[in-house]
Amino acid sequence: MIGLPVAIRLALAAARELQNGEVCFVGIGNPSDAALLAKHSRAPELTLIFESGVVGSNPISKPPLSTGSPSVAEKATMITDGLAVFSELQAGRIDVGLLSAAQVDLFGNLNSTVIGSYNQPKIRMVGSGGAHDIACLVKRLIILMPHDPRRFLEKVDFITSPGLSDRRSDLKLPPGPVSLITERARFSFESGTAALSATMPGYSEEDAVEGLSWKVKKTSDFASIEKFGKKELEAARSCLQYLFN
Amino acid sequence: MDKSAEISDLVEEHVNDGDTIFVGGFGHCVPFALCFEIIRQGKRDLTLCRSGTDILFDIMIGAGVASKVIFGYLGNPGIGLGHAFRRAVEAGTLTYEDWTNMSMILRFEAARQGIPFLPARILQLGDIANASIPGTIEVKTIDCPYTSEKLACIPALKPDVALVHAHQSDRSGNVQLIGVDGDMFTGALASEKILVTVERFVDTARITRLPEATRIPAYRTTAVAAVPWGAHPSYVEGVYGRDDDQYFAYDREARDVEGLEDYLRRWIYNCANHSAYLNAVGKKRLNVLEEQASRREIG
Repeated sequence: MIGLPVAIRLALAAARELQNGEVCFVGIGNPSDAALLAKHSRAPELTLIFESGVVGSNPISKPPLSTGSPSVAEKATMITDGLAVFSELQAGRIDVGLLSAAQVDLFGNLNSTVIGSYNQPKIRMVGSGGAHDIACLVKRLIILMPHDPRRFLEKVDFITSPGLSDRRSDLKLPPGPVSLITERARFSFESGTAALSATMPGYSEEDAVEGLSWKVKKTSDFASIEKFGKKELEAARSCLQYLFN
Repeated sequence: MDKSAEISDLVEEHVNDGDTIFVGGFGHCVPFALCFEIIRQGKRDLTLCRSGTDILFDIMIGAGVASKVIFGYLGNPGIGLGHAFRRAVEAGTLTYEDWTNMSMILRFEAARQGIPFLPARILQLGDIANASIPGTIEVKTIDCPYTSEKLACIPALKPDVALVHAHQSDRSGNVQLIGVDGDMFTGALASEKILVTVERFVDTARITRLPEATRIPAYRTTAVAAVPWGAHPSYVEGVYGRDDDQYFAYDREARDVEGLEDYLRRWIYNCANHSAYLNAVGKKRLNVLEEQASRREIG
């Protein structure tokens, strides 16, 4: 298991969060890898929606670079516009969203805007895209991050996409992040901050938090996941072949 | 009315220094030829806007034609940062507004409907519209007069000019497209003027065979030019594939100012017009991309 590339292990770990029959709003990269893997193993009836307005996507021919790339549209069951799919999101019609970012904090806040201060950044990044909108509006938010301690902070430099917040219920927004998935572990946000709820195959509890500045509790239902499913591993080989190169 | 024109006339007659420009193309049908012509003609002080941008925004920032950008995402999709954007922000030479893709679409939709704002649940948490962080956008809120729910008022944004590339049009400007739209027609129909390039002109009889594919009616089109390959290195559904290699090449070359200038010289300044650009890309490459096109066909 440890021999698999990090991106594959991250996709395998995140695919576990997706259930058959769900409608899933997907971003490019780790999120689309995980969603595609799930669709071709445990959740064949997963409906993939991209912010470009593509519904029922199955980007199997080539990993898409853009949410508007040809492979996103190629096997889609519907092409509408961005307004339509963001409307579905706001109306609470979308079950789950997958996001990644440059930085994450204990409350599941995500930063994809700046490293440093907003006005005088050390590194100016790409900005929200649809990430803020997904984080605010989707019923269940799954965060995907490679295990890189520099990206796990007490407080992110800039909150592009909001995590847990007391204000969510007043604003009639869904609760926000439910889990943070790395290739080493699953963290749950059920108790109000990220808590270790599972370790992924090949990793110990120490590995799961190695180098993190976070004081992480363990959930009462903590589990050590011994191996990924056979179907999932086969799907990884066939759908995400480009990550093996 | 015959609205057909040459691409150089579209830009010369209808794009003014200081204009706010909506750039169409959500990954698909990105109007590269039109924007490269804007760069060649040395337009200045433009404000560029859309939701998720392509490298075209970064190229226009690097070429010095844009002084302000209003966007949801600005980078090289799936590959990395916008290098020219990053340098300009870090040097303080560019004005910018960070929104989100949904809020940009709502801004255009409000303008398309001719109303001042649309209410939404986004932009009430986080730092994008945080009054205590200087430089972030200001988004006012409202208590719903019916339900008292707190909502963000996403303000209309009405561009002066929209730039669109599509499959086909008749000469009067009924513009047809299949495939990914994103915010292309929300943004176009929000704009005062709409400039269009198409892969080909067709007779109106052909338009009426599939009016569902018409996305801009003739009365809204300002002018239209036939520019085959006008979206390269992006793609046109059923006509040619996306030249992903060009996006990776831009990522490598635009990492420093000299590399970016080489890129601009090679693909824009040293090409007198779009035909010269296509020669620079080369017939061989274009053939490969044609073969990669999906089998879908517009009527």
